[in-house]
Amino acid sequence: MALVIAGNVVAMAPSDPAKVFRGRVWLGDDGLIDAVTPEKAPAPAGFDKAPVVDVKDAWVLPGLIDLHNHIAYNALPLWAEPSQKVSFRHHNSWTGAPTYQKSIGWPAGLLVTAEPEALLAYVQLRALVGGTTAIQGWPTANRQHVQVLRDIDEEKAGSTNRNLIHTSALTLPLLALGKMAQFENAGAGFIYHCAEGQPGSVVAKEFTDVGNAGCLQKTFIAIHCNAIAGTDWKRWAPKEKTGAVVWSPFSNLWLYGKTTDIVSARRQGVTVCLGSDWGPSGTKHVLGELKVARLASDKLGMGLKDDELVAMVTSNPGDVLARCWSRPFGRLVPGAFPDVTVLRPKGSGDVWSQVVAATEREVMLVVFDGKARYGDAALMSAAGASPSSTLTVAGIKRGFAIPDPADEKKAWTWADISGRLDAVRKDPAHAVKKADAIRRSYAGPMDDRKAPLELVLDMPGGGPQAALAMPKHPENVVVPPLPTLVHDKAFFKDIHGRGFHEGLLDGLAKFYG
Amino acid sequence: MATTRKRTSAKVARSSQPASPMRVRADALQDLPAGVGQLSWGERLSVLDAWVQVLDGAYAHLPLKRALYGYDPIRAIEHLRQQVPALNDLQFHRELATLINRLRDAHTQYKGPKSLEGVVASLPFLVEAYGPADQPTYVVSKVNEEAVRDKHFVPGVSLEWWNGVPFDRAVDLHAESETGGRPDARRARALESLTFRALGYSPPPNEHWVVIGYRDSGNRPREIRLAWQLVEPDRAATASRGGAMRTRRAINPAAEAVRRAKKAMFNPELWKAESKPARASAGTGYEDFLTARPVAGGKFGYLRIWSFDVDDDQGFLDAAIQLLDGLPDRGLIIDLRDNPGGLIWAAERMLQLFTPDPVMPTKFALRATPLTAAMASAAFNQQELAPWVESLTTAASTGEPFSSHLPITSAEQCNDLGQCYGGPVVVVVDANTYSSGDLFTAGVVDNSIGPVVCIGQATGAGGANVWSSDDLRAAMAAAERPLPPLPEGVGFSVAVRRAVRNGSADGVLIEDSGIAGQPYAMTEHDIFGSNEDLIAHCAELLEAQPWTRMNVKRKAGALTIVTAGLDQLDLYIDGHPSGETIFLKQDGTKRVPLPAKAGEVEVVGFAGGVVRQRRRLAAPAGRG
Repeated sequence: MALVIAGNVVAMAPSDPAKVFRGRVWLGDDGLIDAVTPEKAPAPAGFDKAPVVDVKDAWVLPGLIDLHNHIAYNALPLWAEPSQKVSFRHHNSWTGAPTYQKSIGWPAGLLVTAEPEALLAYVQLRALVGGTTAIQGWPTANRQHVQVLRDIDEEKAGSTNRNLIHTSALTLPLLALGKMAQFENAGAGFIYHCAEGQPGSVVAKEFTDVGNAGCLQKTFIAIHCNAIAGTDWKRWAPKEKTGAVVWSPFSNLWLYGKTTDIVSARRQGVTVCLGSDWGPSGTKHVLGELKVARLASDKLGMGLKDDELVAMVTSNPGDVLARCWSRPFGRLVPGAFPDVTVLRPKGSGDVWSQVVAATEREVMLVVFDGKARYGDAALMSAAGASPSSTLTVAGIKRGFAIPDPADEKKAWTWADISGRLDAVRKDPAHAVKKADAIRRSYAGPMDDRKAPLELVLDMPGGGPQAALAMPKHPENVVVPPLPTLVHDKAFFKDIHGRGFHEGLLDGLAKFYG
Repeated sequence: MATTRKRTSAKVARSSQPASPMRVRADALQDLPAGVGQLSWGERLSVLDAWVQVLDGAYAHLPLKRALYGYDPIRAIEHLRQQVPALNDLQFHRELATLINRLRDAHTQYKGPKSLEGVVASLPFLVEAYGPADQPTYVVSKVNEEAVRDKHFVPGVSLEWWNGVPFDRAVDLHAESETGGRPDARRARALESLTFRALGYSPPPNEHWVVIGYRDSGNRPREIRLAWQLVEPDRAATASRGGAMRTRRAINPAAEAVRRAKKAMFNPELWKAESKPARASAGTGYEDFLTARPVAGGKFGYLRIWSFDVDDDQGFLDAAIQLLDGLPDRGLIIDLRDNPGGLIWAAERMLQLFTPDPVMPTKFALRATPLTAAMASAAFNQQELAPWVESLTTAASTGEPFSSHLPITSAEQCNDLGQCYGGPVVVVVDANTYSSGDLFTAGVVDNSIGPVVCIGQATGAGGANVWSSDDLRAAMAAAERPLPPLPEGVGFSVAVRRAVRNGSADGVLIEDSGIAGQPYAMTEHDIFGSNEDLIAHCAELLEAQPWTRMNVKRKAGALTIVTAGLDQLDLYIDGHPSGETIFLKQDGTKRVPLPAKAGEVEVVGFAGGVVRQRRRLAAPAGRG
């Protein structure tokens, strides 16, 4: 079904990225934006019966893009190793920490095993609440599942090719990096966790390795790179052939006390994007990460302007991904993916400062692939988002449209989603036993939509290792209570005095005051 | 040492600039970054992927090489793949080149990154050997005097040491890295490339300079230290540019680059000659490929075929005919030593010039694989591979490992000009006579054209049609089996169609065995003179062969036929017998009137009932 959104359009078109105008965004039923026009312009063909959602003076933006996540871990709260007195050196330093498996590996493994579909529904809703329409870092699945966000790792962009982008959260063998360079040579993208750690630590070599492998190209998307020195960025040359770095300042500061040298990266022409990372060391979504970027830039003298920050969750990742998908993304232009985020105005600053300041309360409507998936209940209704369930978020009644996997014609309710996850927390052994029984009773092909959903965690200790590391008695696993969907007092309290950010992240609460 | 090197290079540069288009690079071996161009790991993997795909799917000799040498190149590449991140660029280049060279196939070569393309590392002297194969004497045969200041190091000095290694052992060690199926072929190629290395096809020399131990003319032991220098010889104007004919080539490309570099350094007069525009009255335009002179006191002719690496086979043959017209008709020595091959059509069509009998072309087959079947079936490859389609597609049902063996040069092409030279012929070859040179020699033997004299055991044994990576890329793309993208400047050549012989050797492979001939050992006199002993040996063979003569001219509606040693003439007009057989009682001149509307005329001369001469004369201008 086609959909029209009328409001203050922040199209971020390449010809004039700063232009904001009263207009309409025409989302076709073919999976593409048909047109972006001024308010009075005639309707394009095929939109006669399309619902029009008038968001008045709200900002109509490209859907927000989270280019670094591990969504299967997003039902977990922030984690800090109690015995760790100094910041971690690098990404291999904390996976062996005394409480890592107990706090992260085991509960995450239990949730994906016992309630994979409810888990995916929860983490997708959490991203939608923050205005996200596309996210990276999905767990590998045996079959199709309910999906209300764009899966950056698996997007086919109208083709039949699921390998337009290759991804690895784990450090790859050197030979595999060479293989990735080959894929890039053939036009594919490669999203890679690279050089995550303290500057000068041993993991800085990972950046040298990707360079030697030939990965440093226009379609290389490096996550973190906080271990490399400013001059190392010059290795990624020439400037017109640089790709992107995904900046996750919260996670960097939380674990290492240092974050990526964004100034040097930008000086080298590297495109900077944002990612909220994961529950144990990240914000809840990129709308929160925007504020951390603001804080880090101000504190560390990066000189980033608000419009540059907004680009990091829209046009910057969109442009880099468009190189792999051969389709515009992250901008509201004809032919682009029809992903839209509508934000309520906040304050008296320009649009960019209002977007940076926006919280979950300001998220009015989120449209993924031309369909309204989350938003103010009235707008959801106007957008024809049916069926949908309701939920109060940041004091406002919202609707959300996540199909119930048991009957995809029905909307899944918050009570059922959260109730299933809560049941795992209350009785892990029973939940695992139940899931195991379902799995054993199924005799069909595992890629069939009716097969039990199986997810594979993507972080260190995930994958086959997770099953081996799980305690023999699930009842010994402590699953923490389900975190809220928003940045709230409980979250800010969790930040204070923990991690290695030296108080910098305490400033996040001020945005939500 | 750098000072010496620069002085040497500069001198050569000054001396060579006015005489030849060969460029002497200012940098020496040690100045090249890592010795080779840089490749990322991904690019290296793409190179290996391409090799695996081509060796497995298209390399004509794969099963035979596996059986003959007990060596599996695909497994070796898979092993090299695991080492990719651990090797620097030079190491990778060396490993891959060595790995491919273990196939002992000069057709199948890895061409390194672009920085080395067309570059030859050279020392300013040539080494040659004479005497029996098991006790050769190594001597300096040529010296670039502009580059060598040592007045004692002159042509004729005998070589004893190479960097402290006995010279014959040094040749053997270098032979290990050379192609060539037989040990003698490897040694011959090693000797050829000892002081000239085509860096586009082989790793750079390990040493940046060499210390040569030699005995001077007074038999005193001496040493000289010489640095490798880098030269870039141009190609002759008439040489193959890789156009439409490139998939019909059979050549050792590295040897061709070395041949040009040697010529540039030691035969500047020939460079001058080939750079001049050809004149109808004198030059043929093919001086880089064909030269001729009378020998043995003017009694016999001597035709040197340096290379078949041309695009225009007809132009090449016209030049050969022009040269043959000026040579004595009592007998001809055709010298193909060091001929690296080239255009198959040029080699196979040339055979007809020397025989009155129809020439049978060599036949070629592809390995029957899913890749070759797809290539042959692709619409865009029909011009090249259509004759092989049926056997390749049928092989999937029969298990036959090869396609049918079919000619690349059609029988019509091989016989469209007819005999031009009526005297007996002897052909001289050596272990560096390769590829199209092998095919030509096989044609001489299998079509009973004349005896073959061989320096060494046999010809170089390159029995295949070679395709470049660009050729394969186009053919595989047409078959929707794309070749992985190769880094800029990287390429390779691969034997795609193997050759088998004809006549009494029908079906016998040329690869790795070559064409044997009557053995001959080069003498000191041959090397420092003008092959006098060799020519005298060949002259004896020519003398021993029956000789006849038949010169035919067509003028004013009649033929004037001058004969010697013939006793019978038959006449064919437009392909049909014409008139009675003409019996000859003595040598002399015969005038034969022609019918008014006679088109093409063919005259056949017999001696003792055996066809000895055949001439074909085209219809006069304006006639069908």
